[in-house]
Amino acid sequence: MTQPATAAQQEAPTSAAKSAGEQESSRRPGLRWDVRTLSLLGVLAVLVAVGGITAPDQFLATSNLQLVLTQASVIGVVTVGMTFVITSGGIDLSVGAMVALASVWATTVATQEFGFAGILFTAVIVGVGCGLVNGLLIAYGRMVPFIATLAMLASARGLALQITDGSTQVVTVPSVLDLGARDAYILGIPPLVLIFAAVTVIGWLLLNRTTFGRRTVAVGGNAEAARLAGIDVRRQRLYLYLLSGLCCGIAAFMLIVLSGSGQNTNGNLYELDAIAAAIIGGTLLSGGRGTIIGSVLGVLVFTTITNIFALNNLETAVQQIAKGAIIVAAVLVQRRSMRGGDA
Amino acid sequence: MAPQPPLLTMSGITKSFPGVRALDGVDLEVQAGEVHCLLGQNGAGKSTLIKVLAGAHQPDSGEITWRGERVTLGSPVAAMRLGIATIYQELDLIEGLSVAENVFLGHEPTSAGFVVRGSAARTATAELLKRLGHSEIDPTTLVGELSAAQQQIVSMARALSHEVRLIVMDEPSAALDPEEVDNLFRIVGDLTADGVAVIYISHRLEEIRRIGDRVTVLKEGRSVAGGLPAESTPTDEVVALMTGRNVEYVFPERPKGGFAEGREPVLKVEGLTRRGEFAPVDLELRPGEIVGLAGLVGSGRSEILETIYGARKPDGGRVLVDGTPLRPGSVRAAVRAGIGLAPEERKAQGLLMLESVSSNVSVSTLSRFARAGWLDRRAERAAAHQAVRELSLRPDNPDAAIRTLSGGNQQKAVLARWLLRGCKVLLLDEPTRGVDIGARAELYAVIRRLADEGLAVLLVSSEVPEVLGLADRVLVLREGSVVHTADARELDEHRVLDLVMEGSLTP
Amino acid sequence: MARTPATSRRSLLFGTAAVSAGALLTACTSNEPTNREGAADKAAPVADDKPGKPVTIGFAGPQADHGWLNAINDNAKSRAKKYSDVTLEITEGSNDTAQQIGQIQTLINKKVDVLVILPADGKALTQVGLQAMRAGIPVVNLDRVFASQQAYRCWIGGDNYGMGLNAGHYIGEQLKGTKNAKVVELAGLDNLELTQQRTKGFNDALKNYPNIKKVARQAADFTVESGQAKMAQLLQAQSSFDALWNHDDDQGVGALRAIDQAGRDDFLMVGGAGAKSAMDAIKAGNSVLKATVLYPPTMAASAIDLARALGQGKGVGGLAEFEIPSSLTLYSAVVTKDNVDQYLPTGFI
Repeated sequence: MTQPATAAQQEAPTSAAKSAGEQESSRRPGLRWDVRTLSLLGVLAVLVAVGGITAPDQFLATSNLQLVLTQASVIGVVTVGMTFVITSGGIDLSVGAMVALASVWATTVATQEFGFAGILFTAVIVGVGCGLVNGLLIAYGRMVPFIATLAMLASARGLALQITDGSTQVVTVPSVLDLGARDAYILGIPPLVLIFAAVTVIGWLLLNRTTFGRRTVAVGGNAEAARLAGIDVRRQRLYLYLLSGLCCGIAAFMLIVLSGSGQNTNGNLYELDAIAAAIIGGTLLSGGRGTIIGSVLGVLVFTTITNIFALNNLETAVQQIAKGAIIVAAVLVQRRSMRGGDA
Repeated sequence: MAPQPPLLTMSGITKSFPGVRALDGVDLEVQAGEVHCLLGQNGAGKSTLIKVLAGAHQPDSGEITWRGERVTLGSPVAAMRLGIATIYQELDLIEGLSVAENVFLGHEPTSAGFVVRGSAARTATAELLKRLGHSEIDPTTLVGELSAAQQQIVSMARALSHEVRLIVMDEPSAALDPEEVDNLFRIVGDLTADGVAVIYISHRLEEIRRIGDRVTVLKEGRSVAGGLPAESTPTDEVVALMTGRNVEYVFPERPKGGFAEGREPVLKVEGLTRRGEFAPVDLELRPGEIVGLAGLVGSGRSEILETIYGARKPDGGRVLVDGTPLRPGSVRAAVRAGIGLAPEERKAQGLLMLESVSSNVSVSTLSRFARAGWLDRRAERAAAHQAVRELSLRPDNPDAAIRTLSGGNQQKAVLARWLLRGCKVLLLDEPTRGVDIGARAELYAVIRRLADEGLAVLLVSSEVPEVLGLADRVLVLREGSVVHTADARELDEHRVLDLVMEGSLTP
Repeated sequence: MARTPATSRRSLLFGTAAVSAGALLTACTSNEPTNREGAADKAAPVADDKPGKPVTIGFAGPQADHGWLNAINDNAKSRAKKYSDVTLEITEGSNDTAQQIGQIQTLINKKVDVLVILPADGKALTQVGLQAMRAGIPVVNLDRVFASQQAYRCWIGGDNYGMGLNAGHYIGEQLKGTKNAKVVELAGLDNLELTQQRTKGFNDALKNYPNIKKVARQAADFTVESGQAKMAQLLQAQSSFDALWNHDDDQGVGALRAIDQAGRDDFLMVGGAGAKSAMDAIKAGNSVLKATVLYPPTMAASAIDLARALGQGKGVGGLAEFEIPSSLTLYSAVVTKDNVDQYLPTGFI
């Protein structure tokens, strides 16, 4: 039989040591975030080095920087919205389909008659509308996000196909086309990149500096605790899918500007690209932690990889293999460096 | 207490969940500035009651009066607006947010209604932490990086960040060291001096005597006594109120001639330990013997069982079956050596809820019915049928869906699984949880019969009479340590409750 | 198969796109068919236009989820309407193999005289082709070929290798005087056999021109979006080149957008498939796009002609044989400014 008093004595030092150890690590707040972001910056730096060595003339040109950022801008805006949804513990599989539907709806002959404003307005409204449906189904219809947004993926793609009947809707509104042209650059920055930057900054502020962002993290971290803290969890979820829809609407408009057309195949597999970028950026797939900067870096990593491959004229098959390998490598590097940070 | 209108009155509160009547008429009266203690065994309805008070559950019937006015606590926000704050036992913090963010979650100081003024929140949090005697916690630290005790402090800071008149603390001392407990009591004293009322839930009578003013005792969803003086009510009386039962359990007779005395122990546990969960434990289990582990939730009972089973990796010590040590932390090794576990969360950890009785029973023995990977389903079904018949499982149909069975019969299916596997040691974690009182006697008989057939049984239960009635020997646990070992017939419920609740503090 | 299952696969999930809604499509259904009909006439006159024995032709195709397949359906319908002795039983298109098999079996049970089948997947539908043949119903296999010759009486379809070959030869001739000429290829979806065939034809043709070197090849996926993205990268990678072959006019819309955005006009571009937008651009002559290599949807009209001849037990004109051939590979003509007017009506949207 153990003496009670002895047991208490044995216990005390252990727990004291434990809390002391944890206090020590708690004196370095935010370290993990920095490590994660830094390691992703490291990956990007390695890629830039590879690009600079393998295709020095083309890769390091200003025009290539403009190109990479432009190519990243559309999926980047989608990823910002996705980051919010994933941070809240949800998922939005319908982003690509929403982009497709918004882009074709905004480029029908009827819409184009209303010019620039008509196209922009339609794209945004269609995105927000789809997001609203997603949000209502998930928040108030109690549907699992995976299923609700999968259903939206199917319906929005179907509707996009029905609107176009498979044909490519070419944009004839000059002001829209001009926005994607070289002479629209502002101080050498393409307007699409500026939109991307604006969405990133607003997204960062929203996630890190507002009650909305705080509540998003809380809902993803522990929905029940959030509810007990007085947060209207359902309304928060509604807003989040609405936000993702809004981002898709903006992205659809950007894609119209970029490609000068609307097609029902637009946004193909955006959902996977956006999820992958957010996850390698450091957003937790299970929710409760999200980083806009990480997501944007994730998008840039992917776009840079594609760019380097194209500049080196590598085959599609090689590109796909390498892309998969780099996702795994990026995540492993992060794990490793995080463990280092913990120790 | 000076006589004045009570701050809070709850009367006739009832609340049912599917299949459970959690609250069955609770009355509670709290005065401003008092520490009102809630006592009751596990499952007595304390947690449900405080969730009703926090606005997280809506009562089915009953009245709540707050400062003389009848109120409805329709949501957590409504409760907070009145000045009721709750510190939950299961920490309700968001690990991915910082201390300050958690403290002000849901009522962040803002500009323009939505932009969080982070520095204001941090300053206010630092002040609250200082007031709580923990100024060393940095408001910008992520809560996930704090120790359990520090998280408790953050929870408390969060409660104090509201304009409070009543704070509910659900076992606040459970995660704290002795010095921390002193600090907690100091805080409670400060609060009550300011006129704030505290509802204090604890299993430790000693604490209740130190800081409590009055005590309300809950049993099986009812308040059986209210407003008892905390200092002077005899322990006997409190324990009697908590344990008084309406139903007598029928326990099977113990075999004559002692329990398997003289036989070699089949299971030996030597110095098994897990840091922060339980101190080194030694125990021996002979064939034909039932050994009970008695203790409160959090005393390390389930953890010990799961560590023996290999589901948790021990920090020290070893487990031997028939004299052969097992590879630590390997469920596979334990199962191969003949250890079986009927887990506490039967539905979540034990059963394949969508499958039939037959597949649930045979799941640990599948390879026996397989040839080159192909299952001989007829043999599987027949063997499963045989096993469940031995335990007189109802319905006598191996194809019945497991989810349609009663709790007792589901538990029998879990036992049948190990029976079929032919294990030597059976670890039972809360075997009668969710089982009707009527069906328990049958389950007890089954467990005793398995022991008589030569099985060694290690039983964990939070219901003390169950341990005393069923087991041959009893180990009493308190906060991860074995504080008493005795023949079950030499112990009674009062003695055990005394041991688990006050332990070191009573001579 | 002119374009890609990338789109068709998807519609497998999304059910049937019924009749169009947009204004563009109204134009497509009201004006186009008459034009196309005329064009098909000129392109492939039939030997015998006089009414003969009545023939019921069953037509089963994939879901018309993009322009080229839409044009296939239109061509078949308008061609059949032209003959008073032809009744066309046309099924709702489907990309689901099982569903298409069911549709074809229904047509077999209805005892149509001849079947025209454009399978969603040639290999997967071979069995149902065999069934029809065994039931005594001759099958005209359109474009995507069955795995067994026994599954069809006659195959008619486009020539992917020939597309590449003709594109290569056209570019070769255009660059004849240029020393160390550089050529770039923007391919279609790389995991399709047809893309590989087009590339092989293109490479083989270029071997005849020692002054030309293919310096880059990237694969898009037949969508405008991918065309823009891949072309932008190619333009960045290759600061100067003399000619570009783009496999598909639809992704070409995106490619042209990228070329426009990069402000480049120092090369000539050849398209593929024969979209109306591409032909319009060739006719206007104000872009780098100077030619496109056909993959003609008029093959559906020809398939109707073959089916009618089979049903009436006749041969086709212009050949000495009594029987129609077992296989007809269409020529991938190069459409340039000189002959664009002739082909413009066949251009699909």
